[in-house]
Amino acid sequence: MHTYEIFLKKDGRDEYRHAGALDAATDDLAMVMARESYIRRAEGDRLWLVRRDHVIVADPDLIAPNADKPHRHHDGSAVAARRKALRNEGASS
Amino acid sequence: MTVDVTPAVREFLLAIADDKHLMGQQHAEWIGVTPFLEEDLAFCSIGQDELGHAALLYELLAGDDDAAIDSLAYDRGADEYRSCHLVELATDDWTVAFARHWLFDTADQHRWTLVSQSTVPELRDVAARVEREERFHRMHADNMLDVLLADATARDRFVTAVAALAPLTQGLFEPVPGEAEAVATGVAAGPFAAEWDAFVETIEARIGAVDWGSAPSQAQRTQRSNDWQALMARMREVIDLDLSATW
Repeated sequence: MHTYEIFLKKDGRDEYRHAGALDAATDDLAMVMARESYIRRAEGDRLWLVRRDHVIVADPDLIAPNADKPHRHHDGSAVAARRKALRNEGASS
Repeated sequence: MTVDVTPAVREFLLAIADDKHLMGQQHAEWIGVTPFLEEDLAFCSIGQDELGHAALLYELLAGDDDAAIDSLAYDRGADEYRSCHLVELATDDWTVAFARHWLFDTADQHRWTLVSQSTVPELRDVAARVEREERFHRMHADNMLDVLLADATARDRFVTAVAALAPLTQGLFEPVPGEAEAVATGVAAGPFAAEWDAFVETIEARIGAVDWGSAPSQAQRTQRSNDWQALMARMREVIDLDLSATW
């Protein structure tokens, strides 16, 4: 048995989205099962199956350091605060 | 969408519809108890398709009125149904249920081919619709068989289940009296029984020679098997709670 990850695409504009997973003995059987389990109500018009053991998975340690880089988050708040302060300064003079 | 057919042709169409109806019900009853989740969903989804096919045929005979369709599906007397005993059989053995699915859908392909060029246009439309879905039912059965037959234990169990169902499978091909008129008027291209040899060839090519035994006594599909009463009681369980209720 293999585990397959199921991806569905709804229409021409949307991207493929992960819908779930299933176990099956063969690729063909996985496709039939996915058809009956995930798109029997036409939840998508495109279907991808990816065997889970074919997915290349990142080590969490590879990603973890990037959670602590505030300098990469340019949300503009510092600039906005500075501009607001300058505006207030101008109004009071 | 109603078709204007003679009583004989109506009976011919009822035989197909009743087989589909009971087969769908039997498949659907496996919800939650098949050996694994994926099969659970797939098998019951296939059962729903079968119920949908039955409903299309009942609609041809009863018209668009839901109450009339329900009445045709659920309210007839036992001797007015035209199902075969294969679809009436009760089983709590998954291998038997799966083997029946394979046998029924393999035979069903032959049956629908016979009406795919029918002189009744509405029936041709239903046949085309049904085949679009049946293709996947057969794909399900055949792909699962590829896996089962490759394993000695599974193969033995499956072949034993087919052997147990073989006599009743002959009954699936038994015609109603109305079939002769359906063939004579071009509603069907030929009698279902004429497809038997081709059907057997398909089955035996997959699992080897089968002892088909003797066909059950169905009195041209007018006689119900012992399991029918309980099956119908389950199907009518909610209806029978309150016969005066409007659904």
